[in-house]
Amino acid sequence: MTASNHHQPHLSSDDPRIMLDGEIGQFESVPPYPPRTEREAEFYSLRDGEMFLNMGPQHPSTHGVLRVVLKINGERVVDLDPVLGYLHRGVEKLCENSDYHHIISQVDPLEYVSSLFTEWAPVMAFEKLLDVTVPRRAEYIRVLTGELLRVSSHALYQGWMALDLGGLAPILYSFIERDEIVEMLAAITGQRMLFNYFRIGGVNGDLNHEFMSRLGDWMSRALKEHETNIGLLNENEIFVRRMRGIGRVDRDMALKMAVTGPNIRAAGVPFDVRRAHPYSVYPELDFNIPVRGSNGGGDSLDRYLLRLDEVRESLKIIDQCLHNMPDGPIMARLPRLLRPRPGRAWAAVEAPRGLYGTYAISDGTDQPFRMKIHDPSFVNMQLVGQLMKNNLIADTMAVMASLDPVMGGIDK
Amino acid sequence: MDRLLRKRLETRFDGKLLGPVRQRHDETEIHVGTADLVEIMNALHDEADLKFEILADLAGVDTGDQMQVTYHLWSEMTPDWLRVIADGLPRDNPRIPSLTGLWPGAEWMERETYDMFGIIFEGNRDLRRIYMPPDYASFPLRKDFYLADDAARSPGGGVRHMEQTHVPAQASPNAVRRTVKTR
Amino acid sequence: MTQDGREASLPDAVAANVSPAADDTALVPAGERAVGSPIVVPNTLWTSGREGAYPTGSSSYLHLASLEGSDLMLKDDARWGALEVIPTKADIVVDLIRMNSLWPLLSGLACCAIEMMSAATSKNDMDRWGMFPFRASPRQADVLIVAGTLTTKMAGPLVRLWEQMPEPKWCVAMGDCTCSGGRYKRSYSTIEGIDRVMPVDVYIPGCPPRPEGLIYGMMKLGQLVKERRGHWDEHVIAPNVPTDV
Repeated sequence: MTASNHHQPHLSSDDPRIMLDGEIGQFESVPPYPPRTEREAEFYSLRDGEMFLNMGPQHPSTHGVLRVVLKINGERVVDLDPVLGYLHRGVEKLCENSDYHHIISQVDPLEYVSSLFTEWAPVMAFEKLLDVTVPRRAEYIRVLTGELLRVSSHALYQGWMALDLGGLAPILYSFIERDEIVEMLAAITGQRMLFNYFRIGGVNGDLNHEFMSRLGDWMSRALKEHETNIGLLNENEIFVRRMRGIGRVDRDMALKMAVTGPNIRAAGVPFDVRRAHPYSVYPELDFNIPVRGSNGGGDSLDRYLLRLDEVRESLKIIDQCLHNMPDGPIMARLPRLLRPRPGRAWAAVEAPRGLYGTYAISDGTDQPFRMKIHDPSFVNMQLVGQLMKNNLIADTMAVMASLDPVMGGIDK
Repeated sequence: MDRLLRKRLETRFDGKLLGPVRQRHDETEIHVGTADLVEIMNALHDEADLKFEILADLAGVDTGDQMQVTYHLWSEMTPDWLRVIADGLPRDNPRIPSLTGLWPGAEWMERETYDMFGIIFEGNRDLRRIYMPPDYASFPLRKDFYLADDAARSPGGGVRHMEQTHVPAQASPNAVRRTVKTR
Repeated sequence: MTQDGREASLPDAVAANVSPAADDTALVPAGERAVGSPIVVPNTLWTSGREGAYPTGSSSYLHLASLEGSDLMLKDDARWGALEVIPTKADIVVDLIRMNSLWPLLSGLACCAIEMMSAATSKNDMDRWGMFPFRASPRQADVLIVAGTLTTKMAGPLVRLWEQMPEPKWCVAMGDCTCSGGRYKRSYSTIEGIDRVMPVDVYIPGCPPRPEGLIYGMMKLGQLVKERRGHWDEHVIAPNVPTDV
């Protein structure tokens, strides 16, 4: 395809084990360089009958650019090594060189599907540093928009779960749901995706008529649409049989792997930051935490069903927020140039994927000294290596999709 | 602000804390040295009245003088977050024992800290770069790694405050406070 | 000149105006391991009909429709070498076919990918214009919609994907990060705009662009396809006409 006289630069990937077209016939022993770590030595040595299969950074699943090197024996996956970093944008370094206000827009693209939560945790940490009380109306608006985004994110999860297993229809339903919610949020934030809505001390804009009318319209249909979406897949035999029994996580493994969010709640541990360490106005709201897999742990189907349960709880919360919305200001009065006291603050929220936390160190200037972002998908991806032993290749995508990773957060 | 937790920590780890137990809002903070780290973490994890089973975060910090590794833990016994700061890692050879024996899920977090700071976690079976390409030569989040088009170091000088990095290029030793001042 | 056949090397006038390997676009000085200067593929499939089109911004583009019935179309042997028996309107038909069935490569890197998927699903349906099948394999794709930030680590695989796509192919830069680096312009690990590594036909700004914005960009791409405007000079797909027409 390329011209014969074309000098092809030797575009070796960062991994010398990948063979390009021009190198067919030259076989390099694996690994060509001495393995750097114990785990590399263990992984990159092949026994009889094993081979490597590279699910490269571009692949049909929609999580993003994740590369997984599978060591397979026939159709069974013996081991796998995820390679991250294809979307590493250096957000933490950029945050160190930004104003506190600017950080809110910097951290948006981390969990781009649910980006209000990525703003919420830093904003809470900065409010701790500044000792700011957020007005109650702003808190209610935060919870309301956050739960809306959680519903949207779980709806997208359903679609992606089906898409990774080969079903092309449910994602269309998911995107209908997502589009409706996101247009609602665009009415108050102005953006469909990377909202940049939360501010230190409150939120940016108050609820307006368009938002309320769209929300009311959607809420009247929401539960029924949720039931429809459930009915799409729950009784589909192929779907259930592909998910049941795959990727079983039990309580000990979940705690040891530092997993949080629906993945740990589907393993039987009732840890939800909204109840374990309540923030904002969650203590006043009445909702339950669904937990599955309390005996023996949960598999992929449990994780899927748990997220559906969570959608129902979120709808309850949205309802309560609408009914109890107080009046008042939506933002605390703060100076424009923010210089918090020197100190450290940690804040964590319950994002749709787990515990999303921010550790902020301030040194008295108007730029933070260190902003560490703890993303739940990052630790959740470690589970894939544990869960994939002796499963089929086709189950890799099922397991990975059931953990609901978002590469923006994994790679920061 | 759990006073009971503070008492428990002070009595249990009496000689090993490098400083008082600090509490603010809903966080409790202890400073430990790298030698005692594994023992203290095991105690925090196993003991019945502490039971810090959930590792929420593992962060590397480069204060100008030294490096730290900060752990955030949660337990159902106390309403506070616990922050354990392992202090005193020298900047030229930062080594700290790894927690992968206790929490295998810390492996990737330690890899990330190594990738960004160069802190070596002894005992981590897989300490290689996770974000940057494997042959990348520097550690991006260190304070002596400046972004490429850093206006502060450009001939233009970086007049606006947004263009100053945290450590200005021509800082006099007194002008910049390099350690985090705590109360 | 270009009329005289398809030599393997660039025609002089074109080469003089080609500036792909300029130093300001090289990421890293040559010789170091990097994606390096943009990859220039000398065009042996399609001879360039318009030398110096882009840099000097000379003649307006000829619409194929204006050449209808002229014998210039009959002599359009740039790509119809063996197929001269096809009537003159074949070019137009083929372009219409291409324009209405551009199959994108599933290359969503980051946040813009969600908006791309949203543009492809129910509410803003790109299937109306034939663009629904997002091919997973580059060998079957026409358009590379780069949606999301390109990092230095991903640049190699992405350029390899681009090279694996067969001609004719187009590239759409969706989102601020691909147009110019966007909000990550200061970062140490991103590439400031994918036009540093591959030729781009349509730039769609926005962070992320709305699905309607992406569809507008694809409409513009359709116009480009129909008018046979390509990206680099070597890839200009144009009728083989002298410039004094």
